[in-house]
Amino acid sequence: MSKGSFLYGLWCCGVVALFLMSAFSGYSPFADGGRATRAGFYAGGPNHK
Amino acid sequence: MSDPAINAITCPACGGTVEMRAAGYSVTIVCQYCSSVLDVANPDVRIIERYQEAARALAIPLGTRGTLRDVEWEAIGYLGRSEGGYYPWEEYLLFNPYHGYRWLTTDGRGWSFGTMLTATPDYVSHGVLSVNGETYDAFFRGDAQVDYVLGEFYWRVAAGEQVQTADYVRPGTMLSFEGNESERNWTLNELLSPKEIRAFGVDPPRPWPGSGRPPLPHQPSPYGANLKSFLKLGLITFAALIFIIILFGRKGEPQAFTMALTPGREAISQSFGPIMLPRPRQAVTISAEAPGIDNLWVDIDYALVDRKTQASYEAYGLVEHYSGRDSDGAWSEGSRDKTTKLAVVPAGTYDLVVDASASRWSGSGSSSSYATDGWSGSEPSVSLDIRIAPGGFFLSNFWLALIVVIVPIGFLLWRHASFETARRNESDFAASDSDDDEDDE
Repeated sequence: MSKGSFLYGLWCCGVVALFLMSAFSGYSPFADGGRATRAGFYAGGPNHK
Repeated sequence: MSDPAINAITCPACGGTVEMRAAGYSVTIVCQYCSSVLDVANPDVRIIERYQEAARALAIPLGTRGTLRDVEWEAIGYLGRSEGGYYPWEEYLLFNPYHGYRWLTTDGRGWSFGTMLTATPDYVSHGVLSVNGETYDAFFRGDAQVDYVLGEFYWRVAAGEQVQTADYVRPGTMLSFEGNESERNWTLNELLSPKEIRAFGVDPPRPWPGSGRPPLPHQPSPYGANLKSFLKLGLITFAALIFIIILFGRKGEPQAFTMALTPGREAISQSFGPIMLPRPRQAVTISAEAPGIDNLWVDIDYALVDRKTQASYEAYGLVEHYSGRDSDGAWSEGSRDKTTKLAVVPAGTYDLVVDASASRWSGSGSSSSYATDGWSGSEPSVSLDIRIAPGGFFLSNFWLALIVVIVPIGFLLWRHASFETARRNESDFAASDSDDDEDDE
């Protein structure tokens, strides 16, 4: 295995480890929780045309 | 290698002593002092062609020995060649008394070890030949001439000699044809590694792209092998991600609650619980559904409050659905359900506090038509079903991980494509080969 492949293998291991940790602890940078409640008046309605 | 017979002859042109390294095999020898071509096939050495030219300094001085592919070879002859004076390259004739002759060729971008074939390659299809079951694609076609000669050869060589040439390639190997009216030769040139060519005391040239020159026609992509292992590792990683999703992406048993909302009324606040979260940390999935709503939106504020610490984890959800009819016909948009996910909620006993309000869209499009600040009188109530469950899987995490894994593969793929483009651009057959015939087979 070349040096590049070895480094990429390490990279993939890191990704899998982070993914495993996030799955185990229920973490996501895109989670809805923690976002501010919609402030002010929401003028609902369709975007249709 | 045991020493072959080394004889010395006297150059009839300049009187210099010329060593013969393959005595008994060589037909011509070029004097290293005056470059005159001498006939050594007969005991009486005679001048074939007379020159008064100083010998060129060679990268591999004649007489140099080196081991290639487990055989020790001695450089005995040198040819400087070109295509009509352009695209020059060099060929060294190697000799071993037990293994015969080989070629060492370079055009400054790399070195190849050439073995003459005793059989003609097989024709496979237009521009494709086969040797020992391996196929070679057409790359070059042209005429080559001998510009400079030094050393000894097994045929009568002279500067100015011209032959037709054609090259066919596969990664690592080039199949070269040379021929004229009387003779046709095929040579298999294997690309040598930098380590191998150092056996002859030569510093290997800088590889592409640092060389500033295109890759050799038969140079394998330096990214090709890595690309295969990168793809394998990427697939393994993908499988591992899927496995983790299956293992940890499941939700726990959900708890369901219902709220009744009247459009246009003030927000209603209700608390539901207890909600038990068993794991030290987990995601929490809250889904809201307002079945049957139309031209309505429901604002929902969630607060998951720890009964013990009063720590609150908040989120926002919006359920909305609209429909109508215009000149294009019926339309609808929005969704009657919405899933909201909270991240990294610690273990504990929680209450879910929900603040929700429903508002109607009248359909006129003007701001005054939104019934948000007063009761509209006869509005029926809307049912809001809320389900909360510990656990859940963030699909966004999966896409992010996949992008991070794929980016290096994409970069390598781009480098590989750049290399192959640079290599193929050198080919006479790069753009179109429809007007070429196959008269070399």
